[in-house]
Amino acid sequence: MSLSLVTLFLLSTMVFLGGQVLPGNVGRAILGPFADQRAVDALNHSLGVDRPLLTQYWTWISNFVQGDMGTSYIFRSPVAPFVIDALGNSMKLAAVAFVLVVPIGILGGVIAALNLNRPLDRIISLGGLSVTVLPEFVTGIILILIFGVWLRWLPISAAWPKDAGFFTQLYYLILPSLPLFLVLFGYIARMARSGMIEALDSDYTRTAVLKGLPWRTVIWRHVLRNALMPTITVIATQTGYLIGGLVVIETLFRYQGIGSLIFTAARGKDFPMLESGILTIGIVYAVATLIADFLYSVLNPRIRLGSEQ
Amino acid sequence: MSKNYRILDLLRRNRSPLENHLIDGLVDGRVSRRDFVRHGSLLGLSLPLLGRIGMAAGLGGMPSLARAGAPGATIRVGSSVPAATIDPVTIADAGGLLVMQQVAEFLCVDGPDLVLKPALAESWKPNDTGTVWTFKLRKGVKFHSGGEMKADDVVASIDRLADPANSSNALSVFNGILQKGASKKVDDYTVEFHLDAPNGNFPYMLSSDNYNAVIIPATYKGDYEKSFDGTGPFKIEKYTAKVGASFVRNEDYWGEKALPERTEFTFFADMQPQILALQGGQIDIINQMPVLAGVALLNDPNVDIISLKSSAHQQLHMRCDDGPLKDARVRRAIALCLDRDKLAAGLMKGRSSLGNDSPFASVYPSTDTSVPQRKQDIAQAKQLMEAAGVGQGFKVTLTTERYLEIPEYAQLIQNWVKEIGVELELNILDQGAYYGDAVFGKSNWLDSVMGITDYGHRGVPNVYLAAPLKSDGTWNAAHFKNKDYDALATSYIAALDLEAQKATAGKIQNLLLEETPVIFGYFYDYLTATAKGVTGVQPTAMSQLFLEKAAKA
Repeated sequence: MSLSLVTLFLLSTMVFLGGQVLPGNVGRAILGPFADQRAVDALNHSLGVDRPLLTQYWTWISNFVQGDMGTSYIFRSPVAPFVIDALGNSMKLAAVAFVLVVPIGILGGVIAALNLNRPLDRIISLGGLSVTVLPEFVTGIILILIFGVWLRWLPISAAWPKDAGFFTQLYYLILPSLPLFLVLFGYIARMARSGMIEALDSDYTRTAVLKGLPWRTVIWRHVLRNALMPTITVIATQTGYLIGGLVVIETLFRYQGIGSLIFTAARGKDFPMLESGILTIGIVYAVATLIADFLYSVLNPRIRLGSEQ
Repeated sequence: MSKNYRILDLLRRNRSPLENHLIDGLVDGRVSRRDFVRHGSLLGLSLPLLGRIGMAAGLGGMPSLARAGAPGATIRVGSSVPAATIDPVTIADAGGLLVMQQVAEFLCVDGPDLVLKPALAESWKPNDTGTVWTFKLRKGVKFHSGGEMKADDVVASIDRLADPANSSNALSVFNGILQKGASKKVDDYTVEFHLDAPNGNFPYMLSSDNYNAVIIPATYKGDYEKSFDGTGPFKIEKYTAKVGASFVRNEDYWGEKALPERTEFTFFADMQPQILALQGGQIDIINQMPVLAGVALLNDPNVDIISLKSSAHQQLHMRCDDGPLKDARVRRAIALCLDRDKLAAGLMKGRSSLGNDSPFASVYPSTDTSVPQRKQDIAQAKQLMEAAGVGQGFKVTLTTERYLEIPEYAQLIQNWVKEIGVELELNILDQGAYYGDAVFGKSNWLDSVMGITDYGHRGVPNVYLAAPLKSDGTWNAAHFKNKDYDALATSYIAALDLEAQKATAGKIQNLLLEETPVIFGYFYDYLTATAKGVTGVQPTAMSQLFLEKAAKA
């Protein structure tokens, strides 16, 4: 926990210092290159960005730890609603993508491992790998053209109408989650496959089979349980990508996620928005890692017992 | 049709000498019909009067307006995301000003034909020297918040923009022209603007050409997104930053009521999703479509393209004070390498007009069209290089921004100048890195030996003539210092008379061809895409979109 806090503090400092290296200044970013310098200076002064860097950083960080994310330079309104809305949206999209890709990816890996070196294994492994290497903006455009423009089955934009219910939101999230599914399927399936192969080849599986346990019980209780552990680590590490790394998908599907929020903030030198967005992703990432550790210990008694000892 | 001198004499009565000189030009054939309407509107002559003069001069009536479509539609527009909070004082981006322009209006509007049309001002007039312009305001115009628009609101709105303490984005337009406190109320419906120096094109600075110059209540204290107050044909319904906006018809509008019942604006961070949304039927209009990004729609049978000639262009500046481009012969040699016809037909897909290395685009009535067009001439370019003592060529870096077709344009130039031995190294940067702090010494744009910079459309060339080319110009990336040019540019800006403007324009065009501090290769068209069946959409090359006559089949 304390290590996570140190990490987050270092992250905030790095973002702040990195932001200073970017060319231009906030007033210039808002008013444009052709604005009069007097107007730029007046705007920088009214935003407080002409104060010493340490003062700006200290003001922001001291407010942040008290739960105040500050005011956006660009939108001149509180940062928190922007970040909370964007995080909520990103988590919804990530959840739909996870619900699609995790069971299907694991199932694909299991089927491939159980059919090792047979045609089905080849199809799953090579097919998964092929779609993984396709960039999501390519698969995204192809999917939009097929389902949005030609067949008109699914909405092109992921932004659902206001007051939309759960199922409407889900309907709008199907198309943007498909490219994510394609990116992650091959990865998760390969991890699950190699975990399964290793587990199938292990002593405890052989013992379970020789004990006379039914094949289904061997797979379910012994093989899958052990095979899934590396897969869980992979899924946890993908959380950061799914929450904060979807700038391309969010732009393509006009989705208000936290990735594009941070991207816009970085371009506009909107420091409070940038810092708050990145730290929020950092916190989500830290929590996801904690959950993965917990699941790992649930699936692997050796870790649980080891820590108790 | 024959001329009716009796009616012409009647119409001349009570006209100023300047206005009568313009009428003489039309009657004698020195001024074309198009230029007459445009310059007449600048001098404050009403469009019906201009039409009557045209009829009396034997030129037939004014073209009739298009037939109105069916009322009640919801028009859905795709546009870029407003880059910052929407505030009439600071706003600088196309997405934001499009939203603001739906609710707030200008004193006059610079239409797609560059003819000024009255809006909140009914008429305007200069004094004899062009140092004081008097605007008569329309009566009975109501703000959406209820109050009547009067001279106090106009004075406050314009004064706010001319105040250096206000972070005003219009400060660069008013700099050296209109100071804070120089807008004076005469009575509730008359305002005078006392200028720093004579200016023959001043009404353009209070028109939609200066996109910050909307009239909002005098009581405005900031936080425009809370009220979106204005006098326009539409009222705000909902605005969500980064997402979109919707508007409803203003039933109390002073003019003809808008046809659409609602308009919806959806913000997009990129062009590709907008194109897909138009093709997928989720929006009806793409407000602004760069030609290369929108190439898929140019021949789409389900899409109509509205193509407006504009003065928007890419300036290729060359440092005149230092380095290998210091010699004007070398700069001319580089300009002679460009195949402008290929640029217009290939790179710009026929959606541009040729540039002749001055800001005088063909859309401007003051452009002297007798000045010969510069064409590709490699042999002459090689001779110039020899004469300048650099026949063996040299290496130079071209720094530019990653925006629109600029990277492709830079590559074409790189290939063309190879023929005269010039090796161009391209340094293509993100826009933020290119412009930097946008002041000399802290900007790749202003400090580079050679660079390409995008300049948006302007209804008159004043801004292009001053800031990027005058010796003390704040955007003078070419570091061009020429006293003759400065005097000519000042004289052009001051001239009230179209023929005087034309004469000065010709001299400026010739001087710039000789010196070539900046290459103006082409002026690109402003493209708006609409779904088939959508009518009455009126964009301007300033990214504004007038939807009051829009309808769907």
